[in-house]
Amino acid sequence: MTEPVAPGSRPTVDTPPLRTSITAPRPGTALLDVHGEVDTLTAPALEQALRDLLADPGAGQLVVVDLTGVTFLASSGLAVLIRAAHRATERHLRLRLVAPSRAVRRPLQITGSDQLFDMYEDVSAAVV
Amino acid sequence: MSDLDFPSSAETLDGVSTVEVRTSANAALIPTIRAVASDLAARADFDLDAISDLRMAVDEACATLVDVAAPSSTLRCTFLVRQERIEVRAEVNAGQPDAAVSTDTFGWRVLQTLADDVQALRTPGVDGNGPTVGIRLDKHAGETSR
Repeated sequence: MTEPVAPGSRPTVDTPPLRTSITAPRPGTALLDVHGEVDTLTAPALEQALRDLLADPGAGQLVVVDLTGVTFLASSGLAVLIRAAHRATERHLRLRLVAPSRAVRRPLQITGSDQLFDMYEDVSAAVV
Repeated sequence: MSDLDFPSSAETLDGVSTVEVRTSANAALIPTIRAVASDLAARADFDLDAISDLRMAVDEACATLVDVAAPSSTLRCTFLVRQERIEVRAEVNAGQPDAAVSTDTFGWRVLQTLADDVQALRTPGVDGNGPTVGIRLDKHAGETSR
């Protein structure tokens, strides 16, 4: 994580970090896998991972974000996803989100943000 | 104290059970507070969407307040568990004299969507202390009654 912790305020409670990895499950497909809780502390890590994912997508490339391993999505995380959707649109891309769990689906739906993405329940369907 | 199966057994005469959580006003401790929110909502038979909404609303309220809290101050979060609804009051002592909860942000709009009612609170500080700023929100147990 890039968030600095001020001296003396170091929490004694361990916040589990957000884990992200980018792979290419097949040619022309970029897959970002996200695990953990996306909140105000970890949203910057997701933002960076999405920037890396969208840094150089080729024309017609599939860009998939797998949020199956995300157990909490705060508004700070939603804002990061929405900014990524707008960046993708500028490149004539549409992000595919894999969001099978309520912890991710509910915040996206109740805010209407799910309209910005192609939503999938299953990563194997999203990368085809 | 072996009697932990609240709220039923911890109810007071007016039917409200109260849980207060105090932490350092530090974002790293918010996961603990939102876990308490989830747990209380689940025990109060909130439906799964309402549990998710309350957890996210409490997270948002606390994150907003930690941002304006004075250094080394305390975040106080009080849950009033009523029949069919939970009221949450969160507050901090703010660092800056003109501090207030911003209500023109994306986070505030999300908070309004998640909760059935939400209000920003502010009490001016005395003797040169910063104000107390807070957020009060209300969440009903059932599928959104709006």
